[in-house]
Amino acid sequence: MGAIVPLFMALAVHPLHTTLTQLAYRDADRSVEVTVRVFADDFRAVLARDVSDSAAAAYLRSAFTLTDRAGRPLAVVWCGMKRTGDLLWLCLRATAPGGLSGLRVRVALLFDRYEDQINIVQAILEGQRVALLFTRGDASKPLTRPGGAVRTPLLF
Amino acid sequence: MSELAAYVSLGFRHITDLEAMDHILFLLALAAIYRPRDWRDSLWVVTAFTVGHSLTLALTVTGALVLPTRVIEFLIPITIVATCVENLVVRDRERALWGGRYRPVFAGVFGLVHGAGFANYLRSLFVDEIALPLFGFNVGIELGQLVVLALAAGVLAVVDRAFALATVRPGGAVLRLRVIAVSGFVALIAARWAMERSPF
Repeated sequence: MGAIVPLFMALAVHPLHTTLTQLAYRDADRSVEVTVRVFADDFRAVLARDVSDSAAAAYLRSAFTLTDRAGRPLAVVWCGMKRTGDLLWLCLRATAPGGLSGLRVRVALLFDRYEDQINIVQAILEGQRVALLFTRGDASKPLTRPGGAVRTPLLF
Repeated sequence: MSELAAYVSLGFRHITDLEAMDHILFLLALAAIYRPRDWRDSLWVVTAFTVGHSLTLALTVTGALVLPTRVIEFLIPITIVATCVENLVVRDRERALWGGRYRPVFAGVFGLVHGAGFANYLRSLFVDEIALPLFGFNVGIELGQLVVLALAAGVLAVVDRAFALATVRPGGAVLRLRVIAVSGFVALIAARWAMERSPF
């Protein structure tokens, strides 16, 4: 009992650790706009309190990858960040002439900070909303409609 | 994966995460008084808990109710301690209030408190489209609770077996020993959490 109780104490604090990444395709310039919502205190913790544009951009580029159908990484450009309340909104942009469908994405935000981190990705493919979940250790996943050509992951 | 499936998965993972000890221990305390043949009663209690936390989650996330996070984080372990105390104090449930059928009511009331625990977080993240995440998250929580309840039944069966082997007492006495051991253990941990989170 003496050893077990402190173990349970350590597990007591249990907030959700989640980010939300939205991918929107812009027909006008054939690019993907990536908006990442992350809680400011989580982001500050992973950046060792330096939440400057350059530090945020560097971290986001290391934790977010977008690759084309051939597996080549797309170049992403930092397009700024803003804060509303507890939330930071981070922006990246990438040129993707072929559209969103079939691209592969990986969001590894905060995996180096929280073991229970879950990153959600939302996108609209051919008018249908789709979502992906990323947990620690996940590789990149394809953006496909549910029931599309590429098999979707199991629910749990 | 559809969006709904993603949010169901998020809720399921949240409640079954080993770090979610506050929710898991509350469910263990709720289940501690039941024998395998009482599984319907335990399901009623857990369902009432779900109704309670769904209600608060919906009210808080939609902005109809604003609850300070510090107070909620303090009240969650208090609900766990109260459940353990009720387990220990009420020995004869057939002679208790309403024949002992009040438990779903207090589980529902305590569910109101637990729902507020993550409501502020969801409202902040899904600021512009809360309905689908809220619904999916709740479905996932409910499914996760059923899994936790099944595991809790397994843990309680092991505790029963240990007491049965260690004593020569009849079945009813073994159940009482189990209630005392599990409730005492959970109450001790939750009381420490309450002290650490006290806003006073």
